[in-house]
Amino acid sequence: MSHKGTSTFVIQRATAVLLIPLGAWLLFSIVAVLGADYAGARAWLAQPINGILVGAFVIIGAFHMRIGMAEIIVDYIQSWMKDVLLVINWLVSLGLIATVAWAIYTLSFSG
Amino acid sequence: MAVEPSRRVDLAPMQPIFAQVSLAKALSHGDFMTKGVSASRPLSPHLQIWRFTATMAASITHRGAGIVLYGGTLLLAAWMLAAAISPELFSVVSGVAQSLIGSIVIAGYVWSLAFHMMNGLRHLYWDSGRGLAPKTATMTAWLIYVASFLLAAIILWAGFTARGAA
Repeated sequence: MSHKGTSTFVIQRATAVLLIPLGAWLLFSIVAVLGADYAGARAWLAQPINGILVGAFVIIGAFHMRIGMAEIIVDYIQSWMKDVLLVINWLVSLGLIATVAWAIYTLSFSG
Repeated sequence: MAVEPSRRVDLAPMQPIFAQVSLAKALSHGDFMTKGVSASRPLSPHLQIWRFTATMAASITHRGAGIVLYGGTLLLAAWMLAAAISPELFSVVSGVAQSLIGSIVIAGYVWSLAFHMMNGLRHLYWDSGRGLAPKTATMTAWLIYVASFLLAAIILWAGFTARGAA
């Protein structure tokens, strides 16, 4: 993490700016969508506009989340657990990107 | 009897010189390191003696909301993954999402996203060097609490109503 303060700061702000319109869009869709049945959920996610925007929200969000959580970890944890948690945080964020990319791809091309 | 201006000892021009002397002492590690001057330096106040302020509450809430969004976004990904894998898995995840606990989690996620986005805008505004005066920062903190509750309430009401209609 050292010597990367400026790029971390810039990425945190740049992702924040992108997440504001994406988050606003998600807020107005998500509550109703989470009540959908299997066919309804698949049909919604297979729509290009929904797949792209929810994918962008989660993937850009993963970068933002990783930085924010790392900031919390380094603020409160000083023991060897700090490095363990930072690695877990990194893996969770990568896993989130891979999972959502795979899910949207599958839903979009499975017909 | 008024003192004549010319007889006053004006210390103002001397102050920069004093400041330079003490700064030079500090930088040279002279008495700072050897004589234990640090013992008389002020300690940073501990958490329990901070006075409660709206700005402090907003700062803590911003972090808390960030943690909720972290966990909630993982759950959203689980819901999408289940929809992509199988109807059986989806019925399990969707069942949890539509339970009472699921609805409480969704409500928490919606309010957290509303708060974190609005307070994020406040942070971006601060980054431009504006809105930092205590009065302004306190007012915007309260404003965001009220606005985020209102926005979350409207979104939850509209969202749950749309579910019933569909």
